[in-house]
Amino acid sequence: MSDNKHRVTRRQFLNYTLTGVGGFMAAGMLMPMLRFAFDPILRETAGTDMVAVADVKEITTEPKRFDFKVKVKDAWYESEEPRSAWVYKDEKGDIIALSPVCKHLGCTVDWNTDKNNPNHFFCPCHYGLYTKDGTNVPGTPPTAPLDRYEFEVKDGKLYLGKAKPRGEA
Amino acid sequence: MKWTSGDVATYEKERDYIDTALVPLLPVAVGQGARRLASGGELVGLVATEVERQLRGRVFLLPPFVYFVDEQRDELLERLANWTNRLRQEGMEHVFYVTCDRTWQEGTEASRFWLVPTVPLESMDESYKHELVREQAAELLRFFVNRWTKR
Repeated sequence: MSDNKHRVTRRQFLNYTLTGVGGFMAAGMLMPMLRFAFDPILRETAGTDMVAVADVKEITTEPKRFDFKVKVKDAWYESEEPRSAWVYKDEKGDIIALSPVCKHLGCTVDWNTDKNNPNHFFCPCHYGLYTKDGTNVPGTPPTAPLDRYEFEVKDGKLYLGKAKPRGEA
Repeated sequence: MKWTSGDVATYEKERDYIDTALVPLLPVAVGQGARRLASGGELVGLVATEVERQLRGRVFLLPPFVYFVDEQRDELLERLANWTNRLRQEGMEHVFYVTCDRTWQEGTEASRFWLVPTVPLESMDESYKHELVREQAAELLRFFVNRWTKR
Protein backbone atom coordinates (compact mmCIF):
# COMPACT_ATOMS: atom_id res chain seq x y z
CA MET A 1 0.00 0.00 0.00
CA SER A 2 1.24 3.40 0.88
CA ASP A 3 4.22 1.60 2.25
CA ASN A 4 5.15 0.45 -1.23
CA LYS A 5 4.51 3.78 -2.94
CA HIS A 6 6.80 5.84 -0.75
CA ARG A 7 9.50 3.35 -0.37
CA VAL A 8 12.93 5.02 -0.44
CA THR A 9 15.79 2.69 -1.01
CA ARG A 10 18.94 2.91 1.02
CA ARG A 11 20.81 3.92 -2.12
CA GLN A 12 18.38 6.74 -2.90
CA PHE A 13 18.46 7.99 0.65
CA LEU A 14 22.24 8.13 0.68
CA ASN A 15 22.27 9.84 -2.71
CA TYR A 16 19.86 12.53 -1.56
CA THR A 17 21.63 13.24 1.69
CA LEU A 18 25.09 13.26 0.16
CA THR A 19 24.14 15.60 -2.69
CA GLY A 20 22.32 17.80 -0.18
CA VAL A 21 25.19 18.04 2.27
CA GLY A 22 27.77 18.23 -0.52
CA GLY A 23 25.78 20.99 -2.17
CA PHE A 24 25.75 23.02 1.04
CA MET A 25 29.47 22.58 1.47
CA ALA A 26 30.21 23.58 -2.12
CA ALA A 27 27.96 26.61 -1.77
CA GLY A 28 29.68 27.53 1.46
CA MET A 29 33.00 27.53 -0.33
CA LEU A 30 31.86 29.16 -3.56
CA MET A 31 29.83 32.04 -2.17
CA PRO A 32 32.72 33.92 -0.60
CA MET A 33 34.78 33.32 -3.73
CA LEU A 34 32.06 34.80 -5.90
CA ARG A 35 31.69 37.68 -3.49
CA PHE A 36 35.39 38.39 -3.74
CA ALA A 37 35.29 38.13 -7.51
CA PHE A 38 32.47 40.65 -7.82
CA ASP A 39 33.56 42.88 -5.00
CA PRO A 40 35.16 45.60 -7.16
CA ILE A 41 31.89 45.98 -9.06
CA LEU A 42 29.69 46.05 -5.98
CA ARG A 43 31.82 48.56 -4.13
CA GLU A 44 30.35 52.03 -3.95
CA THR A 45 31.77 54.24 -6.63
CA ALA A 46 34.25 56.36 -4.71
CA GLY A 47 32.33 59.56 -5.61
CA THR A 48 35.39 61.11 -7.31
CA ASP A 49 36.05 62.86 -3.97
CA MET A 50 34.78 66.23 -5.13
CA VAL A 51 33.07 68.35 -2.51
CA ALA A 52 30.59 71.15 -3.16
CA VAL A 53 32.07 74.28 -1.66
CA ALA A 54 30.36 77.40 -2.95
CA ASP A 55 27.99 78.94 -5.44
CA VAL A 56 29.83 80.20 -8.48
CA LYS A 57 28.10 83.57 -8.25
CA GLU A 58 29.65 84.15 -4.84
CA ILE A 59 33.10 84.16 -6.41
CA THR A 60 34.55 87.57 -7.17
CA THR A 61 37.94 88.85 -8.22
CA GLU A 62 38.81 89.30 -4.55
CA PRO A 63 39.99 86.08 -2.89
CA LYS A 64 37.39 84.77 -0.49
CA ARG A 65 37.77 82.03 2.02
CA PHE A 66 35.45 79.04 1.84
CA ASP A 67 35.41 76.34 4.48
CA PHE A 68 34.37 72.80 3.78
CA LYS A 69 34.83 69.30 5.10
CA VAL A 70 36.43 66.20 3.69
CA LYS A 71 36.31 62.64 4.94
CA VAL A 72 39.70 61.47 6.04
CA LYS A 73 40.81 58.03 7.06
CA ASP A 74 43.67 58.08 9.50
CA ALA A 75 44.75 54.55 10.37
CA TRP A 76 41.56 53.05 11.83
CA TYR A 77 39.96 56.33 12.66
CA GLU A 78 37.65 57.89 10.12
CA SER A 79 36.78 61.49 10.57
CA GLU A 80 35.71 64.67 8.88
CA GLU A 81 38.44 67.19 8.62
CA PRO A 82 37.92 70.88 8.04
CA ARG A 83 39.56 72.37 4.98
CA SER A 84 39.54 75.84 3.52
CA ALA A 85 40.22 77.33 0.14
CA TRP A 86 40.89 80.81 -1.13
CA VAL A 87 38.80 81.21 -4.25
CA TYR A 88 38.69 84.07 -6.78
CA LYS A 89 38.40 84.79 -10.48
CA ASP A 90 41.42 86.06 -12.34
CA GLU A 91 41.36 88.73 -15.08
CA LYS A 92 40.32 86.20 -17.68
CA GLY A 93 37.42 85.09 -15.49
CA ASP A 94 38.95 81.73 -14.72
CA ILE A 95 38.38 80.36 -11.24
CA ILE A 96 41.45 79.89 -9.08
CA ALA A 97 41.16 77.86 -5.87
CA LEU A 98 44.22 78.03 -3.68
CA SER A 99 45.00 75.87 -0.70
CA PRO A 100 45.64 78.02 2.38
CA VAL A 101 48.33 75.70 3.66
CA CYS A 102 51.69 77.48 3.76
CA LYS A 103 54.38 75.56 1.91
CA HIS A 104 56.86 76.31 4.64
CA LEU A 105 55.59 74.44 7.69
CA GLY A 106 51.89 74.15 7.07
CA CYS A 107 50.27 77.11 8.80
CA THR A 108 47.14 78.67 7.34
CA VAL A 109 47.74 81.75 5.25
CA ASP A 110 45.41 84.72 5.23
CA TRP A 111 44.60 87.21 2.47
CA ASN A 112 45.57 90.82 2.84
CA THR A 113 46.28 90.83 6.57
CA ASP A 114 49.81 92.23 6.53
CA LYS A 115 49.66 96.01 6.40
CA ASN A 116 53.11 96.29 4.86
CA ASN A 117 52.24 93.98 1.99
CA PRO A 118 48.67 94.57 0.86
CA ASN A 119 47.07 92.16 -1.61
CA HIS A 120 49.31 89.28 -0.70
CA PHE A 121 48.66 86.01 1.05
CA PHE A 122 50.37 86.25 4.40
CA CYS A 123 51.46 83.53 6.78
CA PRO A 124 51.37 84.75 10.40
CA CYS A 125 53.86 82.17 11.65
CA HIS A 126 57.06 83.15 9.92
CA TYR A 127 55.84 86.01 7.75
CA GLY A 128 55.79 84.09 4.49
CA LEU A 129 54.30 85.97 1.55
CA TYR A 130 52.60 84.86 -1.64
CA THR A 131 51.27 86.97 -4.47
CA LYS A 132 47.60 86.74 -5.44
CA ASP A 133 48.18 83.83 -7.81
CA GLY A 134 49.92 81.92 -5.02
CA THR A 135 53.52 82.46 -6.09
CA ASN A 136 55.87 82.62 -3.14
CA VAL A 137 57.71 85.90 -2.69
CA PRO A 138 61.47 85.29 -2.68
CA GLY A 139 63.21 86.21 0.56
CA THR A 140 60.39 84.84 2.72
CA PRO A 141 60.53 81.32 4.19
CA PRO A 142 58.26 79.44 1.74
CA THR A 143 60.05 77.74 -1.11
CA ALA A 144 57.14 76.82 -3.36
CA PRO A 145 53.89 78.36 -4.57
CA LEU A 146 50.64 77.55 -2.81
CA ASP A 147 48.91 74.35 -3.91
CA ARG A 148 45.88 74.60 -6.16
CA TYR A 149 42.70 72.63 -5.77
CA GLU A 150 41.36 70.63 -8.64
CA PHE A 151 37.94 72.03 -9.32
CA GLU A 152 34.80 71.45 -11.30
CA VAL A 153 31.75 73.61 -11.91
CA LYS A 154 28.43 71.82 -12.03
CA ASP A 155 24.96 73.40 -11.91
CA GLY A 156 26.35 76.71 -10.72
CA LYS A 157 28.23 75.11 -7.86
CA LEU A 158 31.95 74.92 -7.35
CA TYR A 159 33.29 71.49 -6.45
CA LEU A 160 36.80 71.12 -5.11
CA GLY A 161 38.96 68.02 -5.20
CA LYS A 162 42.51 67.47 -4.07
CA ALA A 163 45.04 70.22 -3.60
CA LYS A 164 48.00 69.69 -5.88
CA PRO A 165 51.29 71.51 -6.28
CA ARG A 166 51.13 74.02 -9.07
CA GLY A 167 51.95 72.65 -12.46
CA GLU A 168 50.12 69.43 -11.74
CA ALA A 169 46.61 70.76 -11.14
CA MET B 1 52.73 70.42 15.47
CA LYS B 2 50.93 67.77 17.40
CA TRP B 3 52.27 65.15 19.72
CA THR B 4 52.51 62.49 17.03
CA SER B 5 55.51 60.66 15.63
CA GLY B 6 55.24 62.36 12.24
CA ASP B 7 54.95 65.88 13.61
CA VAL B 8 57.70 65.38 16.14
CA ALA B 9 60.00 64.26 13.34
CA THR B 10 59.28 67.56 11.57
CA TYR B 11 59.83 69.39 14.82
CA GLU B 12 63.28 67.88 15.23
CA LYS B 13 64.22 69.12 11.77
CA GLU B 14 62.72 72.59 12.08
CA ARG B 15 63.32 73.41 15.73
CA ASP B 16 64.34 76.97 14.99
CA TYR B 17 60.98 77.83 13.57
CA ILE B 18 58.84 76.32 16.30
CA ASP B 19 59.15 78.52 19.33
CA THR B 20 55.70 78.37 20.88
CA ALA B 21 54.29 75.66 23.11
CA LEU B 22 50.59 75.34 23.79
CA VAL B 23 49.58 73.21 26.76
CA PRO B 24 45.95 72.41 27.52
CA LEU B 25 45.28 72.39 31.27
CA LEU B 26 42.58 69.86 32.03
CA PRO B 27 40.92 69.64 35.43
CA VAL B 28 39.33 66.26 36.11
CA ALA B 29 36.72 65.05 38.58
CA VAL B 30 34.66 61.91 38.63
CA GLY B 31 32.08 62.93 41.17
CA GLN B 32 30.53 66.32 41.53
CA GLY B 33 30.97 68.73 38.66
CA ALA B 34 32.30 66.07 36.34
CA ARG B 35 29.95 66.95 33.54
CA ARG B 36 30.85 70.61 33.54
CA LEU B 37 34.56 69.79 33.55
CA ALA B 38 34.18 67.28 30.74
CA SER B 39 32.31 69.81 28.67
CA GLY B 40 35.00 72.40 29.35
CA GLY B 41 37.73 69.92 28.55
CA GLU B 42 36.04 69.00 25.30
CA LEU B 43 35.88 72.61 24.21
CA VAL B 44 39.52 73.15 25.20
CA GLY B 45 40.46 70.19 23.02
CA LEU B 46 38.45 71.42 20.05
CA VAL B 47 39.80 74.95 20.22
CA ALA B 48 43.39 73.81 20.72
CA THR B 49 43.19 71.44 17.75
CA GLU B 50 41.75 74.10 15.50
CA VAL B 51 44.43 76.63 16.44
CA GLU B 52 47.10 74.02 15.93
CA ARG B 53 45.73 73.37 12.45
CA GLN B 54 46.05 77.01 11.53
CA LEU B 55 49.39 77.73 13.16
CA ARG B 56 51.02 74.33 13.00
CA GLY B 57 54.27 75.69 11.64
CA ARG B 58 55.06 77.59 14.78
CA VAL B 59 52.93 76.19 17.59
CA PHE B 60 53.57 72.87 19.25
CA LEU B 61 50.41 71.54 20.87
CA LEU B 62 51.60 69.34 23.73
CA PRO B 63 49.63 66.62 25.45
CA PRO B 64 47.46 68.06 28.20
CA PHE B 65 48.51 68.81 31.73
CA VAL B 66 45.93 66.86 33.72
CA TYR B 67 45.07 67.26 37.39
CA PHE B 68 42.27 66.59 39.82
CA VAL B 69 40.23 69.65 40.38
CA ASP B 70 40.73 69.53 44.15
CA GLU B 71 44.50 69.03 44.10
CA GLN B 72 46.64 71.32 46.22
CA ARG B 73 46.98 74.62 44.37
CA ASP B 74 50.56 75.43 45.36
CA GLU B 75 51.75 71.98 44.36
CA LEU B 76 50.01 72.36 41.04
CA LEU B 77 51.52 75.76 40.45
CA GLU B 78 54.92 74.34 41.19
CA ARG B 79 54.43 71.43 38.82
CA LEU B 80 53.28 73.72 36.05
CA ALA B 81 56.16 76.14 36.65
CA ASN B 82 58.43 73.15 36.28
CA TRP B 83 56.87 72.25 32.91
CA THR B 84 57.20 75.82 31.75
CA ASN B 85 60.85 76.04 32.72
CA ARG B 86 61.68 72.83 30.94
CA LEU B 87 59.92 73.94 27.80
CA ARG B 88 61.78 77.23 27.95
CA GLN B 89 65.08 75.43 28.35
CA GLU B 90 64.25 73.38 25.29
CA GLY B 91 63.93 76.53 23.25
CA MET B 92 60.24 77.37 23.50
CA GLU B 93 60.31 81.11 23.67
CA HIS B 94 56.58 81.34 24.26
CA VAL B 95 54.62 78.99 26.47
CA PHE B 96 50.86 79.37 26.59
CA TYR B 97 48.07 77.46 28.24
CA VAL B 98 44.50 76.95 27.21
CA THR B 99 42.07 75.91 29.90
CA CYS B 100 38.51 75.97 31.17
CA ASP B 101 39.63 76.34 34.78
CA ARG B 102 39.05 79.90 35.93
CA THR B 103 41.33 79.64 38.94
CA TRP B 104 44.47 79.83 36.82
CA GLN B 105 43.67 83.40 36.01
CA GLU B 106 44.20 84.41 39.61
CA GLY B 107 47.93 83.80 39.39
CA THR B 108 50.66 86.22 38.53
CA GLU B 109 51.09 85.24 34.92
CA ALA B 110 47.42 85.33 34.04
CA SER B 111 48.13 86.70 30.58
CA ARG B 112 49.62 83.41 29.47
CA PHE B 113 46.42 81.53 30.21
CA TRP B 114 43.66 81.44 27.62
CA LEU B 115 40.29 80.75 29.12
CA VAL B 116 37.53 79.19 27.03
CA PRO B 117 33.97 80.10 28.00
CA THR B 118 31.90 77.72 30.11
CA VAL B 119 29.15 76.35 27.90
CA PRO B 120 27.08 73.19 28.09
CA LEU B 121 28.36 71.54 24.91
CA GLU B 122 26.08 68.53 25.23
CA SER B 123 22.95 70.58 24.73
CA MET B 124 24.35 72.58 21.89
CA ASP B 125 23.48 72.48 18.23
CA GLU B 126 26.23 71.08 16.01
CA SER B 127 26.37 74.13 13.77
CA TYR B 128 26.43 76.49 16.72
CA LYS B 129 29.22 74.45 18.27
CA HIS B 130 31.28 74.83 15.11
CA GLU B 131 30.67 78.54 15.10
CA LEU B 132 31.79 78.78 18.73
CA VAL B 133 34.96 76.76 18.16
CA ARG B 134 35.84 78.76 15.08
CA GLU B 135 35.30 82.03 16.89
CA GLN B 136 37.35 80.96 19.91
CA ALA B 137 40.14 79.66 17.67
CA ALA B 138 40.22 82.91 15.72
CA GLU B 139 40.53 84.89 18.95
CA LEU B 140 43.26 82.66 20.27
CA LEU B 141 45.06 82.98 16.95
CA ARG B 142 44.96 86.76 17.19
CA PHE B 143 46.28 86.48 20.73
CA PHE B 144 49.24 84.44 19.50
CA VAL B 145 50.02 86.76 16.61
CA ASN B 146 49.90 89.72 18.99
CA ARG B 147 52.34 88.08 21.34
CA TRP B 148 54.72 87.19 18.54
CA THR B 149 54.87 90.67 17.11
CA LYS B 150 55.23 92.28 20.54
CA ARG B 151 58.72 91.23 21.54
